[in-house]
Amino acid sequence: MDGPGLAGRPTTPAAGPGGGAGASERASGAPDHVPNELQPPPRVELPTWEPSGAGGPTRAWVAQAVTGIGLLALVTIHMIANHFVVPEGLRDFAAVVDYLSNPLIVAIEVTFLVLVTWHGLLRVRAILFDFGFSPATERRISRGLFVLGVATVAYGLWLTSVIVSYR
Amino acid sequence: MSERERLANRDAAPSRPLDRRRGVAGWVDPRGRRLGGWAFILNRVTGIGIVVYLYLHLAVLSLLARGPEAWDAFIAVALSPLFLFFDVVLLAGLLIHGLNGIRVTLTGFGLVLDAQKALFVALMVLAAIVLLVGAIRLVEVA
Repeated sequence: MDGPGLAGRPTTPAAGPGGGAGASERASGAPDHVPNELQPPPRVELPTWEPSGAGGPTRAWVAQAVTGIGLLALVTIHMIANHFVVPEGLRDFAAVVDYLSNPLIVAIEVTFLVLVTWHGLLRVRAILFDFGFSPATERRISRGLFVLGVATVAYGLWLTSVIVSYR
Repeated sequence: MSERERLANRDAAPSRPLDRRRGVAGWVDPRGRRLGGWAFILNRVTGIGIVVYLYLHLAVLSLLARGPEAWDAFIAVALSPLFLFFDVVLLAGLLIHGLNGIRVTLTGFGLVLDAQKALFVALMVLAAIVLLVGAIRLVEVA
């Protein structure tokens, strides 16, 4: 940051006998502490806009950001393919079966389901954690949401297989 | 702290720490809240709404497992004005959450810290424009 470089800042006030600023300060009776201009700058918290989010991004936060970036593309594809270009706004049953007969479409839709579930339940977890539960309760919440996420994706896969079976 | 960092922190910081004793009520208290605080609430409310919608959507899609009659009967209901209104609300939530999420991600990684207020406003204007176009399109195709 601003001010003198910090590379030479002593890491301990009493660096032992010998020359240097610390030694001369002690010799002249100066207080045995790092001068103000050599103090590290105040910590700048990354603004995650999360009241409970002190410190750097957590792994969960990074996962949420990465899944969120993927979702921006996938939700756009999903909305356009399923609602904006379909006559009358929704596919009838035969059209749904035909749509899901393309493996690429199935791959996109399943990826979308995985990412949206992951992203959404991570945020639910973060919101629940903001209520200040005990660590044991937080672990139970994490496990419960993980099971819910797996069940959600399993349901999506099952539903897709049922629909495709009508072909 | 440099002037840039001071400004970034001022704009980014929530108006006050979350008061866990007040729970959700603490989120919606408008007193002393800055733009960053409102953006935070907006992101949470739209996020919760989208998660609720996700599970409603998956429940409705279960009609597909019951065959053509069940699904095609639902389509007639889904194209009613009330459902179209909910579609527009959903689109608004997706746009606000998704576009605001871009800003949250950038600032979370330490980028555009001193322009995030302007970025938030610009993204919300973009959301409003896309919502208008999308809403017109939804009504047209129905």
